[in-house]
Amino acid sequence: MSSSLENLLHARTGPMTSDMVLHPADFGLGHVPARLNPVATTSSVCGFCSTGCALKIHLNEKGEAINLTADPHYPVNLGMACPKGWEVLTPLAAPDRAITPLLRDPHTGELAAVTWERALAAFTGNFQRIQREHGPHALAFLSTGQIVMEEMALLGALAKFGMGMLHVDSNTRQCMATSHVAYKQSFGFDAPPFTYRDFEESDALLFIGANPCIAHPIMWQRVMMNRRNPEIVVIDPRATETAQAATLHVPLRPKSDLTLLYGLAHLLISRGTVKREFVAAHTTGFAGFAAFVRDFTPARVAAETGVPETTLDRLANIIGRRERVSLWWTMGVNQGHEATRTAQAIINLALMTGNIGRPGTGANSITGQCNAMGSRLFGNATSLLGGYDFGSPSDRAHVAGILRLDPARIPDRAGYAYDQILDAIDRGEIRGLWVIATDPAHSWINQTHARAILAKLDFLVVQDMYATSETARAAHLVLPAAGWGEKEGVLINSERRLGLVKKVARAPGQALSDFAIFKLIADAWGCGEMFRTWRSPEATFQILKELSRGQPCDFSGIRDYAHIADAGGIQWPFTSADADSLRISDSGLRIAQSEIRDPQSEIKKTDRERRLFSDGKFYHADRRARFLFDPPRPLPEASDAKYPFLLLTGRGSSAQWHTGSRTDKSAVLRKLAPTVLTVEIHPADAAAASIASGDRVVVRSRRGTAEAIALVTATVQTGQLFMPMHFAAVNRLTFAAFDPHSRQPAYKACAVAIAPE
Amino acid sequence: MVATRENFPLLAELLAEQQRLDTPVARFSSAHDLGLVSRRSAIDSQLIPLTAPRPSEQYAFEVDLDSCTGCKSCVAACHALNGLDDTETWRDVGLLVSNDRRHPFTQTVTTACHHCADPACLNGCPVLAYEKDPVTGIVRHLDDQCIGCQYCILKCPYDAPKYNARLGIVRKCDLCHSRLAGGDAPACAQACPTHAIRIVTVTVGGALRPDRPVESGRNAPPTTFLPGAPDPGYTQPTTCYVTHRTLPDNQVAADAATLRPQPPHWPLAIMLTLLPVAVGLACAASALLLLRRLPPSVTYYVTLSLPSPRMGNESVTYYVTLASWVAGALGLGASVFHLGQPLRAWRIFLGWRKSWLSREALVFGAWFGIATATLVLPALAPLSAAVGVAGLACSAMIYIDTRRHFWRAAQTGPRFFGTAIVSALAITAAPIAAFVLLAKLAWESRTAFDGSVTARLQRGPLRRAVALRDVCGFVAVIGLLAGPNPFAFAAIFAGELIERHLFFRAVDAPKMPGLPSGASAKEGLPAGALAKEPAPA
Repeated sequence: MSSSLENLLHARTGPMTSDMVLHPADFGLGHVPARLNPVATTSSVCGFCSTGCALKIHLNEKGEAINLTADPHYPVNLGMACPKGWEVLTPLAAPDRAITPLLRDPHTGELAAVTWERALAAFTGNFQRIQREHGPHALAFLSTGQIVMEEMALLGALAKFGMGMLHVDSNTRQCMATSHVAYKQSFGFDAPPFTYRDFEESDALLFIGANPCIAHPIMWQRVMMNRRNPEIVVIDPRATETAQAATLHVPLRPKSDLTLLYGLAHLLISRGTVKREFVAAHTTGFAGFAAFVRDFTPARVAAETGVPETTLDRLANIIGRRERVSLWWTMGVNQGHEATRTAQAIINLALMTGNIGRPGTGANSITGQCNAMGSRLFGNATSLLGGYDFGSPSDRAHVAGILRLDPARIPDRAGYAYDQILDAIDRGEIRGLWVIATDPAHSWINQTHARAILAKLDFLVVQDMYATSETARAAHLVLPAAGWGEKEGVLINSERRLGLVKKVARAPGQALSDFAIFKLIADAWGCGEMFRTWRSPEATFQILKELSRGQPCDFSGIRDYAHIADAGGIQWPFTSADADSLRISDSGLRIAQSEIRDPQSEIKKTDRERRLFSDGKFYHADRRARFLFDPPRPLPEASDAKYPFLLLTGRGSSAQWHTGSRTDKSAVLRKLAPTVLTVEIHPADAAAASIASGDRVVVRSRRGTAEAIALVTATVQTGQLFMPMHFAAVNRLTFAAFDPHSRQPAYKACAVAIAPE
Repeated sequence: MVATRENFPLLAELLAEQQRLDTPVARFSSAHDLGLVSRRSAIDSQLIPLTAPRPSEQYAFEVDLDSCTGCKSCVAACHALNGLDDTETWRDVGLLVSNDRRHPFTQTVTTACHHCADPACLNGCPVLAYEKDPVTGIVRHLDDQCIGCQYCILKCPYDAPKYNARLGIVRKCDLCHSRLAGGDAPACAQACPTHAIRIVTVTVGGALRPDRPVESGRNAPPTTFLPGAPDPGYTQPTTCYVTHRTLPDNQVAADAATLRPQPPHWPLAIMLTLLPVAVGLACAASALLLLRRLPPSVTYYVTLSLPSPRMGNESVTYYVTLASWVAGALGLGASVFHLGQPLRAWRIFLGWRKSWLSREALVFGAWFGIATATLVLPALAPLSAAVGVAGLACSAMIYIDTRRHFWRAAQTGPRFFGTAIVSALAITAAPIAAFVLLAKLAWESRTAFDGSVTARLQRGPLRRAVALRDVCGFVAVIGLLAGPNPFAFAAIFAGELIERHLFFRAVDAPKMPGLPSGASAKEGLPAGALAKEPAPA
C-alpha cells in the first residue's frame, strides 16, 4: 500500500497534526509550535504581584506579543512563573475592554461612548466646578499599586501640585500601609531589608500571616531551594498550604499574634539569648521594651493565644539558637486592627536577636501588589515624592527645586487616608472622586456602606482597562486605560528591585496609557506647562532619579531603562558611587553569559542580590533602630452568641488576583480556581450545624449576607470560617476597623453566623 | 464648553504613540539570548529519564504530592507552551480534602493523561485515532484521523481527552513527546517551581508500583494510584503519585458532592431512540410475515388476538417495514450531527477489532442495506430483524463498555431493547406493550432511588425531565390499553426520547478530583448561581 493511501486510511499527518507539532525554537525556548515561533523575545516584569518575576515575551515580526515564557536569566524567578504570569497577556484581549471614554447620559442614565475631547471637557468641567463651589480639597483620588512608578509620580504631582488636591490615596493602603509605617518608625525609612536569596540562606524561616505557596509561589520556590535544612515555621490560625508544607505550624487564635510575639520576646530575654552588643550599638528603646514584655509570661501567652507553652518554648529555641533567622510577614499581619505594632513586634524580634543585615536574616515584609513599593516612594500620598515629608519646609523646597516648581504649590501636610476620604465623601466634604485602576466597590471593607458612600459623589471618574468593574459601573465618566504590556515603565518589587515593563501589545480602540491620560488631563486642566519635562515615562524616570538622590532609596546610579533591562533589574539603593564600583552598567551581557558558564557564581549573585543594614546603620538621624510597642487590644468585633464564628479572609488560589478584574478574563485561570464562593468550616462545627461539604450555606454578619458552598475541612479551627477575598460578596460581611497608625483596614477577622440555606 | 481637537494637540500625538510598538530589531530585543544554551537544559535533565525505556517499560508522569503546593503553573504552562486554544487545557488541578478532625489536610492534585497501560480511549476509538508508542508507551492522538465522535471521552475514566469544538476533534496530552525527543522536559514539568512533576520510567504489566506509593490512610493499605480517583484496574494508568507523608483517612475530592449533569448529546439520544424503534418495527414486520406462513388454523386464532384482522394484510406489513426503514434512516442521519468531522466518518469501520462503535456502525450499515432491500423483497424481513437486533446489541455494548455504573448491562440492555420491544408490540399486541412499558418504567425508576450520583441527579437538577418522561410513559400506557393509535405512538416516542436524553444526562461520569464548584448535593444549582457577579455585556 502506498504511503499516501496509508495516510488516507490512517492520517498520521495533516494540517491539524502539523498545527501542534513542536519545533526547536531560538532564544533558548526549547520547542514551540511553528505558528508560535517568535522572531525575537524581550523580557518584561510581570504586572500582578510584588514578586516581580520577569517574563520573556515572544514577539512576532510586528513587535506584537504572541506568547511568553518565564525568563530563566532573571534573578527573581529563575525561569519560573505562577499561572497569573503565564496568563498575563490574556486579559489584554478581553472582549469587555474599555475602548472609548464613556460618559453617563443624564437622560438615559446609561454610560455612552464619547470622544476624548468630550470626556476631558466633562472631567475638567465637573471637577473644576466642584472645586469652585466646595473648595480645592473637595476633590480626591484613589489610585493603585498596579501602574508603573512614572505614572504614579505624574498622577501624584498633577493632582497635588497641578490640580490643588490634598486628599489622595491608593489601594496600597489595603495591603502595604502597615509595613510602610512600621519600617518608617522602626528603621527611619520604609526599607524592606531583604533580598530573595535570604529565603535560600536562612536556617529558620518564620512566616507570620503569610501563605506564599498560594500568594507568592515563586518566593516559595526560593524557600524550596534552601539547602540548609531549615526550620520552616508558619504562624497562622489556618492550616494553609504553606502551613502544611512547614516543619512547624502554630495555629494561634486569630489576631493574637501581637501577644504571641511579645511572649516570644519575653522568653528570649529570660533565657538570655538577646544579642546585647548589637542591641547596644544599633538600637534604642530596648530597656523599655524588656520591661514592657515582662508581663507576657508563657502562662499568660499560652492562655491568650491558644499556643501551648511547649510550642512557645520550641519557637523561642528556634529564634534564639539558630544562626540565621528570617521573619516574613504579609497580609495576616498588615490587615489587622493593631497591625503596625504587630509588624514592629516582628522587627523587634529580629533586632534583639541580631537577625538583620546578615544573609538569611531580617524582619521582612512580603509586599502585595507589583508596584506597592513604587507607590510608597512616589505615590505622593502619605509622603512627598521620593519618600520626603510634606510637613518639612526644607523637604518641600528641595522637591520644588528639582521639579522647578513654586514650593507653595506643595501642600504642607499629608491628606486623608483611604477610609478618611470615604468618610469625607459621606460627610459631603469631598464631592468629586477619581479612581484609577482599582475597584473600591468590590475591595473596600464593609462594602454595602462603601457603595452607599460612593453613590453620594457629585462626579465619579473611573480610569480602568475595563468598564465592567463594580466601581466603573457606578461611574459618571470612564476613561479607557491601556494595561500592563501596552506601555512601559518601572515597577519596584518586594526586595526593592526596579524592574522594567515593556510595551508589547497595542491598546484596543482609543485606550491610552495612564501616563498619556494624565498628560492630557494636565493640558486640559491648564497646568500642562508644569509637566513639560515629564515628556515620556523614561524622561520621568530621570526626574525620579533626581528625587531619589541622597535618600535611602537612592537609585540615581541607574543610567536609564536599558541599564535596568541589561542588569536584570536593580535593587535600591543604587547610587552613582555603586554604579562606579560595580560597573553593572556595561556587564549585562557578561552576567547573562557568566550565569550559563557558572550557575553557582557567588560574585555574580552578590552583585545582583543585595540586602540592607549590613553595617548596622539605620535611617533615623541617630542611625539607630527603634523598639516600638503598645499593649495588645481586644478584637474590634469578637464573636458572640448571635454571631458565634470569626470569619477569616484571604487569598483563595494562586490563579486569582484580588478582585479578579483581570484574572477572571482568562478561561485558563478561571478553571484553576473554584467557580463559586466557598466557605471553609471545621468538621465539628459543620456537624453541629448539619452542614456537609457541597451544601449551600448563608454566612451572615451585622452588615450583610453572602451565599456560599460549604467546604468541610479541619484546616480551619473550630469557631472559625474562611472565605477567599476574590468574590465581591465577602466584603459585604467584613467589619470596618483600622490600624490607628497605618489606617489599613482589618480584613482578617469579623463576627459572623453560618446556617444551611 | 465643548472641547475640540484643536484644544488638545497632544491627543492625536498620544493616540498615535499608543499604537506604536518597538519592532524586534529595536532596543531591548534580547540579542544576548541568541545562540546561548538555555539554563533550562541543566534543570530539564533532572526531570526526564536519560535513557529510553526497555521492553516492558514505558514513560510516565511522577507527581510528588509533598512538593506540590498548589500553584497550578503546570496547567497554564502546558496551555501556553503547547499553543492551546483560549479555553482548552490538557492538564487539570483538583483538591483532595479530609474531614478528619485531628488532621488538617488539603492536597492539590495535578492531572493530565495517564498514558495508561491499557488505554480505554484507544480501545474504544472507531477510527484508530489513538496509538500507543511501542517504545515510550505514550498514548498519542492522531488529530487528522479523529472524526470527533467523542467516544474516547466517554471511555476515559479520568476525563483526559478534551473536545475542541473549533476543530471538531478531540485533543489531549501527548507527554510533550517532541520535547522529550529533543531532550526538553514536558511543559508542565519545566514550569513547576518546586519540580514536583517528573517523567520517570515505569514497568508495565502487573502492578505499576512507584517507589513511594500513596498511602490512602493510616490504617488502609497503600494503593498504587490516588485516593478519590477512579479505580486504576480498568485502564492501568501509569502516573505515579508519591508521598512520604502519612495521609489522613476519609480523603475525598473537593467536588465529590458536586452534581454534574453530563452533556445531552441530542443527536445520539435521537439516534438511540429511532434505531430501537426501527429494529422493533422490523421485528414486527417479520412477525407479521411469519404469521402468514403459519397453518391457516393457527393464523386464524393469532389474527383474533391482533387489534385488527387487517393487520395480517400484506400492505400493513409493507407499511410497518417502510416505517422501520424511515426510522432507521432518520436515526442514522441524526448520528452524523454528533460528529465533529463527519466527512472523515467513512473510516469508521477501521476499529472493528476492539471498538463497539465500529461494530455498531458496520452492523447498522449492513442492516440499512437489508432494510432497504426488504422494501422490495419482503421475505428478507426476518434477516433485517436479526441484523437489527445485533446492531442494537452493539449499541448497548458501546455504553456498557465504558464501565459507567448507570450504563451497566442491566440498565442499558432493558432500556434499548425495551424501546424496541414496546415498539414492536405496540403494533401487534398493544395491551401487552402497555404492560411491557409499565415494567420498563418501573425498572428505570430503580436508578432514581439507589442512592447513587445518578439517583441524586435524577431527583435533583434533572427532576423535571424525569417527571416529563414519567408523564409521557403513563400516557402511552393508558393510550396503548385503548389499542394501537397515533397518540399512544407519539407518547411512546416522546417518553423514550426523554428517557434516552436522561440516559446521557444522568450518568455519573468518573474523573480525577476537581476543585470546589457549582451545584450542591442537596439540589441542583443553575450554573453560576453563586458565581462572581456577572459583568454586563
